[in-house]
Order: sequence, then C-alpha cells, then structure tokens
Amino acid sequence: MSKRWGRVIASIIVIALLAGFAVSGVACAEEKVIKIGTLFPLTGPVALAGQRCKAAVEAAVEVINNSYPDIPVPLADQEGILDGYKIVLIHADHQGKPDVGKSEAERLFDQEGVFAIIGSYNSAVTKPASMVAERRKRIFMCGASSSAELTKRGTRYFFRIAPTDETESIEFVNFIKWLNETEGTNYKTFGVIYENTEFGKHAAQEAKKAIEEAGFEYVADVAFNPGATNLNSEVQMLKGKNPDVVFGACLGADYILWIKTMKQLSWLPKVSLNYCSGYQDPLIAQQLGGDGDYFMGTTGYSPELAELMPAVAPVEEIYKSKIDPPVPFDSDSIQEAVAMLVLAQAIEKVGSLDTEKIVDALYANEWDSPLSLGGKVAFAPGGQNIKAMSTITQLIGGEYRRVFPEEFANAEPVVPMPSWDQRK
Amino acid sequence: MWYGVLLLIAVLPLIPGPLQSPFAQHVLVLTLLFACMSQAWNILGGYCGQVSFGHSVFFGIGAYGAGMAVVTYGLTPWPGAIIGALLAAIVSLIISYPCFRLKGHYFAIATFAIVEIFNRLFMVWYWVGGALGLDYPIIEEGWKNFMWFQTKTQYYYGAFGLFILIFSFVRWMEANKLGYYLKAVRDGQEAAEALGVNSTAVKLTAIAISAFLAALCGAFFVQYNLRVDPPMVMSLDMSMRFVLITILGGLGTFWGPLLGAAILIPLQEYSRAMWGGLGGGVDLIIFGILIVLIVTRQPKGVMGFINLLTTRFKATKGGDD
Repeated sequence: MSKRWGRVIASIIVIALLAGFAVSGVACAEEKVIKIGTLFPLTGPVALAGQRCKAAVEAAVEVINNSYPDIPVPLADQEGILDGYKIVLIHADHQGKPDVGKSEAERLFDQEGVFAIIGSYNSAVTKPASMVAERRKRIFMCGASSSAELTKRGTRYFFRIAPTDETESIEFVNFIKWLNETEGTNYKTFGVIYENTEFGKHAAQEAKKAIEEAGFEYVADVAFNPGATNLNSEVQMLKGKNPDVVFGACLGADYILWIKTMKQLSWLPKVSLNYCSGYQDPLIAQQLGGDGDYFMGTTGYSPELAELMPAVAPVEEIYKSKIDPPVPFDSDSIQEAVAMLVLAQAIEKVGSLDTEKIVDALYANEWDSPLSLGGKVAFAPGGQNIKAMSTITQLIGGEYRRVFPEEFANAEPVVPMPSWDQRK
Repeated sequence: MWYGVLLLIAVLPLIPGPLQSPFAQHVLVLTLLFACMSQAWNILGGYCGQVSFGHSVFFGIGAYGAGMAVVTYGLTPWPGAIIGALLAAIVSLIISYPCFRLKGHYFAIATFAIVEIFNRLFMVWYWVGGALGLDYPIIEEGWKNFMWFQTKTQYYYGAFGLFILIFSFVRWMEANKLGYYLKAVRDGQEAAEALGVNSTAVKLTAIAISAFLAALCGAFFVQYNLRVDPPMVMSLDMSMRFVLITILGGLGTFWGPLLGAAILIPLQEYSRAMWGGLGGGVDLIIFGILIVLIVTRQPKGVMGFINLLTTRFKATKGGDD
C-alpha cells in the first residue's frame, strides 16, 4: 500500500471521528437536559417508516421544549419540563436487526446515559431491545410495534401506545358481524394472507383466533416471503378456497404485488381488511390508483381523520418540516409522537426523574392525548394502552373513508367489492 | 507470540480507561466472537480453498440448538450447544458431499442456495419457532445458564474460551498432517491426489470441523443476544461477515481472522454509534468506503500488508549491515 493511500485512509478515519464527536458534542453542550433515546430502523428495508417515526418524536420534543400556546397539546404552553429542563434526543439506528437493536439499546442506556428509550417500530426488534430496559429497570416507550405478545410478557417498564394485532383482529371480526347484521350480507368464510415474519405470523395467529372464536370458518392460511417477486401461487391458493373475507398482513411493495396479482388472476374476495402500513401508506395508495380502491383496513390516523383530532394539524406542520419529502403523519409515526408526549407528561407530573415513581404514575393515571383517536391514553399491567383506538376505513378514489365503528363513520361501506371487470 | 497475544486478550478488559465502558466491552466481545467465527470458516475457505457462503446455516443450527434447549425445553444451553454443533457437522457432511463435486465458483454458488433453503425452512418450521423466533425468558444469570444482564465481563471470558479452543485447534492443525493436506488440496487438487491425498475425505473433514466450530459460535451468539430468528442467523448477510473478515485479515493465515475482526468490528460498531442516528446510512457509507480502499490497495489483507512491512524492514536492516 502506497504512503499516499495510507494517508487517504487515515485522513478519512480522523475526519470521520472528529465529525462524529462534533455531532455527539451538541447534546453535551446543554446543561439542564433530559436525554431520551430513539431507536428506529433508519436504514434497511423499512428505513422510510423509521425515519418518519424519528421525525415524529422530534416534532413532539419541539412542542415540549418550546412555548406554543396556540397548540392544544399538553406541555405546549410552557418551555421544557421540570422548570426549564429541555429534552435532548439521542438517535440510534437498529437497521431492522434484533441483535443490533439490543446492542444499541444497551449503548443508549450505558454509554449515552439516556433516561428512557422510544422505539423500535419492528416488533422483532422491540422484543429484545425492551428487555434490555426491563433488566435495567428503565422505561421503554413503544409507539407502533403491533405484536400483542409484547404486552403479555409481564413487564413493568414497557409501555405501548398503539392497538395490537389482537385488538385489530377482534375489530375486523366485529365489523363483519356488524355487516352481516345491518347490511344483510352472509359472510362466513375467512382467509388470511401474511408475510412470513414476526409481524405477519403473529397477525395471522390473532386473526385465526378471533375468527374461530366468533364462530366463522377459517378456510385459507397463506404465507409468503417478504420481498417476493411473484405471488401467483399464493393468490391461486386463495382463489381456490374462495373465502368471503380476506385479512391481509402485507407491507409496502408486497401489498402492491398482492393486489396486482389478484387483478391479473381476476379474483377478489367480497371484503378485504388489512393490518398495518401497506394499506395505510398514502404513497402506496397513490401508486395503486384505482386498483387499490374498495380495500379496507385499520387506521389510527390519516388526514381524513383530522376533523376528529383538531390538535394534530399544528403538530403535523412541525413534523413536515423535519422530513423530506414532507408527508402527513401516518398511523405509525403519530403513535411515536404520542409516546414522547405521554412520557413527558408523566415526568412533569411526578416532578422528578425517579423512574419508579414515573412508572407508577404512568399506570395510575389517564393521560390527555389530543393526538390519539380516543383522546386519552391509559396503561394496563403489562403496558398496553387500553384506550388505543383505530377506525376501519375504506379507500375509494384516494380517500380513506371512515366506515366503522359507527360513532366515527362518515360513509357507508361499499360491499361486496366491485369485481375487476366492473371497475372503470 | 501466541502466548503473548493470549495474555494481552486476557488482561484487555482489566486495563483501566476507555475499555472499561460497557459499550467498549460489547465491542471486545463481538470482536472475539467474529474472530472465532471467521477462523472456523477459514479452515474450509482459507486453508482448504473451498469458498463457502453457506456457513451461516451451521452457525444458525448451533444458535437454535442452544436457543431451543433454553426456551423450548427449559434446560441449560450447554447440551443444546453440543447437540447443535454435532448436528451442524452432520448436516455439513450431507449437503457438502454433492456440492464438492462442483469446483470453484460453482461450489460457492451452490452454498448460496443452501442458505436460502435453510432460511425458508426455518421460517415455516413451527417446532423451531418459525418466523416468530425464540425469545429468552428472564432466568437466573450465571455460567450455568450462560447469560448475564448487567455486565459483559463474563461474556468476554466466555468468548475468550471459545477463542482459545478454535485458535489452538487451527494452530495444531497448521503444524500437523491435516493442515498440509488442506493446503495441498487448495493449491492443486489433482497434484495432491497424485501424491495419494484423498481430496474428498480431506474436504469433508474440513467442512465438518468448520461447521462444528461455527455452530459453537452460533450458540454463543444466541446466548449473547437472548433471541434467535432465521434472518438473524441464517442469512447471506451473516455468511458474508465470515468471508469479509477473513479476506480483510488475510485468507488462509492464522492471524488473519483476528486482525480482520479487530479492524472491521470496532469500525462497524463505532461508526454506527457515532453516525447511525443521523439516518441515511452515513455510517454504512463510510464503512463501505474504508473496506473498498483497504481491500483494493492490499488484496492479501492486513496480513499481506504486515508481511510487506516485515520484508521491507528486513531488507533495510540487511542493507544497513
């Protein structure tokens, strides 16, 4: 190796190290600070979702640290908490890998000295990362991870804001029962298509349980590998069993491929209900155009729900300034902002950074949460937010119409879905 | 030198200063573990010249052995680790026998496919936890269960034990018949066979030993992370780490895997710690650039660079004389 190249490599390492220390030094320059760690997939297959979650927590912190008297959100009318303490975020990237998530959680607590962690989007990463917090008796706030298993572990320091795939499955089944009672439909047979991951597998298990407990028939269980390039055989399996209702747990591009393949094979169930972000992502809805119409799914937040949650708009403006391209909150990212706001309220209420007292307060109180659909957050033992709510929406013409439950509905559901040849 | 390095590794976490921090100790544990994993791969890929991208399968079988012993059967991880390692050796023999008929690049390509097959199989295999994986419960910490929650020191010395086992074996192998057979097959299979070396038996021996040791590393990995699922252990990404570290350090050399791990792992961990939170993969970009620069400027790895320096130093010294 020539001396020149040796110098180039050495220079890169030195410059990079200096840049790194400069960045980490920003947080240390403040005096009255509370360090909070964020742990999201900032790179890897779901990096976009992770970056939105990170921006949502940043937006919440901006509201907490500065005075925004016009924003109707707790703590917005004051600067900081605990008489002038500012929250400083230390961000970490788990790349969607459980082992990286665990070691980054350890680093955030042990090296960076954060008070609590907010994360981690992927349920498979949240599990080991939150156990790091549990063993250290430190708080782990989880916004969006949906695996119901997370809040059934008997943990004390883990809190989750979002509804679980268990509650969503029950809501889906209740919706079908309601359709059968009110619309005169007679939907009896169910199928599930899901990605073969922690998220998909768990959603399918909860779906099966809810379907069978309601007395319906579970006729098709179809798994596929995420990132598949072809779903022909999976859709053929569904078509062969021809269930009335299909629940889908398909993320991102897989959701697009599933719908395109159903169109190619000229088949549709009468109703399709979907978990999580494939259906919820407005960019995916845009890419699918008319083909994505008449599908349904749960939505914790979308711009169409803004009239039910007026406090979201001003916070969303701050959020948009932190993400490129600027997009509205989605159901996942907004939960991370709620996690930050609830934690800050608990710290303020206790009046100190005593973890045990804050945990007790989190369990004992009902928290105002104007960024949540129900407007409240309260935790059951195990850490699940028992006030978590979501609506069932139906996508028509790029608009998510609220169809269930009735108190939130602004449109009648269109069932059965028009077949492909009936669509314009 | 060997005993000097052992002594240095033994006292490293005891040195006061920055190495006492939990994150530094985490980096030290990973460095030793990845040095062990890469040395296990080096037996087949470096000494025997059979480049395998399938070693994450054996690593994964070891991980699942320990994981299932603890999570599924409520035992200690020790019997699971041994059974997993033996199973990995048997599986390696079954899958490598047909693959060894293939030469050069074709063997490497076949091993790619094996990773995918096992990954898919474990994803849908309910008995091993499928896509949900296996999560460790909180149980008593200590050597019996080989898990600790507050400190990394015991993990470090556990990895050090593995290091002594694997590196001592390779050191013994280098000085004995097996090592010469492996190098003979690598340097010219036909020539080795002409001299009476049974190349198939040598290659099968190499992969069985290599798989056994890789599985022990997998068992350590799952005890360290307290969770296992197929993408964590049986993936091309994991296989590539074995290969990359060895090539960076020096393929087919005794110290190469340790040197490669000592450079790559701290670089990977510290770059992620410093820039990972910025998003956009700045850490991965810098990490990638450094690897490209090092590998393109010195294809024989760090050991090649050290040998070059040693030769120059000796030449200068000779000139002075």
